[in-house]
Order: sequence, then C-alpha cells, then structure tokens
Amino acid sequence: MGLLNILKKLRSNPDKELRLLLLGLDNAGKTTLLKQLASEDVNHVTPTAGFNIKSVLSNGFKLNVWDIGGQRKIRPYWRNYFENTDILIYVVDCSDHQRLEETGQELAELLEDEKLRGVNLLVYANKQDLATALPASEIAQHLGLHLIRDRTWQIQACVATDGTGVKEGMEWVCKNIPTKK
Amino acid sequence: MTEVITTEEPQKRVEKILKGFQVNWMNLRDADSGKILWQNNEDMSSPDVEHEARVPKRILKCRVVSREMNFSSVEILERFRIEQKVLFKGRCLEEWFFEFGYVIPNSTNTWQSVIESAPESQMMPANVLNGNVVIETKFFDGDLLITTSRVRLFYV
Repeated sequence: MGLLNILKKLRSNPDKELRLLLLGLDNAGKTTLLKQLASEDVNHVTPTAGFNIKSVLSNGFKLNVWDIGGQRKIRPYWRNYFENTDILIYVVDCSDHQRLEETGQELAELLEDEKLRGVNLLVYANKQDLATALPASEIAQHLGLHLIRDRTWQIQACVATDGTGVKEGMEWVCKNIPTKK
Repeated sequence: MTEVITTEEPQKRVEKILKGFQVNWMNLRDADSGKILWQNNEDMSSPDVEHEARVPKRILKCRVVSREMNFSSVEILERFRIEQKVLFKGRCLEEWFFEFGYVIPNSTNTWQSVIESAPESQMMPANVLNGNVVIETKFFDGDLLITTSRVRLFYV
C-alpha cells in the first residue's frame, strides 16, 4: 500500500490536508519505514540530520508525512513540528533493550505535550525480524500504552526493511484520522 | 540573540542564509516503482545558472512521478517555504507551494513531492516538451526570497 493509496482511502474525509508525524529515537527505522511506504530502496538509509517530508497530492487532497531525525541533539526541535498533526506515528527499535526506558520517556513527553493533545497514536514495534526483538505486547507494557486514556492508540509489529506489518499499521491510520470541524 | 536577527537588514540576512544554504541533490522517480530515473549531485540552488537535466523519455509514461530535493542550512530558518513551478515555454503547467516552517540549524533535509501525471492522451510528446520544460524552485524564509533554482529538462 503506497502513500497514494492511503490518500485515496481518505477521500471521504472532509479535511483537504492531512499531516502524519513520524517520531522515535535515532536508528528506530523511521526513514526506512517512510521509504518502504513509497517502494523505494531501503539499503542506503543514513541518519536523518533534520527532516524528510513526503507530500502526496491526488485529486485536490494532500498528504504530508513528516519524518524528523531522532538523534538526541535533534529531539529538542521536535516541538517545532507538532502543530496540525493528525496522527502521531512512533517507531521503536524492539531489539534496542538498553534504550527501552529512554524511548518510553520520550513518548511520555510527547503524550503530555499540549500541541499533541488528543492526537491518535500508532506505535510501530519495528525490527521484529531480529532474534533479540521483544514482541509488540511487551513493548506496549514498557511504554505503558494501556494507561493512555485521552486518545486512541494501536501498536503494530513490523519489519520496516521488508515491509512486514507496515501496511496493517497504515490501514489503522486511515481508519483513525480525526474528522475536524 | 534574536535581536541581532530582527535588526539585521533583509539583504544582509539573505546573504547570511545563502552562505550556509545548499541544495545537495535532486532526483526524479517513477513513484509507482520508487526507482530513480534521474539524479543530480551538484548544487542546483545557484541562482545565476540555469541547470540542465537529461531525463529518460520513459518518465513521460509514468503514472506518478516524484520530485525530491535534499538541502542543507547552517542558519535557523523560522518560516521556510518553497514555491515550485513546472513551466512549459514560460507558462505554468503545475505549481506546488509548501511551508516547512522551522528549519533546524546545521540540518540536512529532504522534501519529496509526488504527483499524478496527466492522462497519457493529454500528455505532450517528448519532442514537444524537450528543452521547453523548466522546474523552477524558489526558497523563502517568510517573505524573504533566499534563492531560485532553475532546471531545464531534456528528454533523451
């Protein structure tokens, strides 16, 4: 399911412009995921030192996906990109046990932010192909997703490098775009 | 610190931004397959030069094409935006305005726009388009024009 297909599914939405925001620690797989969605080669992805944006236009409808770099020095700038977000997509490297707590803290901060209040959340539990990867259910526990009360959320196991689970996540996104007045 | 910026004269500000601003590469893709059909790695933001791109003819058969550019900025930009136009003999066929807002200092960023082509029946043939199509990209910080990039397309 490419980005154009996502956009086509959203035609019934009264909003003309949609904004998806992709965040997560560095090396979580955000850029790979975005490239996978566009059927692009994922073999030469390098750390994002800023943002990557994909804008898709079809029949007057616009979809913008914002992928912001996850390095520690870039994270303080994330807030500059929160406004008008329709869905927050948070990517976790499930094999990075050492930084589970760190990724949990970053997510908790995002969920507390006024500008992202009530924005529905999709968590991609990425790198499920690695032997050391924790299953999505355990990641959900670590992130405390079951405690979230102020928004709809979903966790989706995936392998961004080969596309496994990516489509399922995007289908959830399509169904959970808020209808703004 | 911000006082320095606000009291700066616009021309000085443009010069400062431009000194640290660079388009690193641009490419065109068949957006259905994700395959790159053309890529250029020279700085195409220099305003005085019209750049040339030799693009395979089969791009005109693509249902969806993407244009992607990668750029770096040393300076913070508060209200960064782009106006991209596809011109045929100077006439605008297509335009795309995009507002990025904030640009992180010392960042490298990419913007990719994906657009469906006109139906093949309405598509002008390669020999008519050849050398007559220019992709013009204007970079702004708010109302301040930073630079213009022009790339003329040749279909080979």
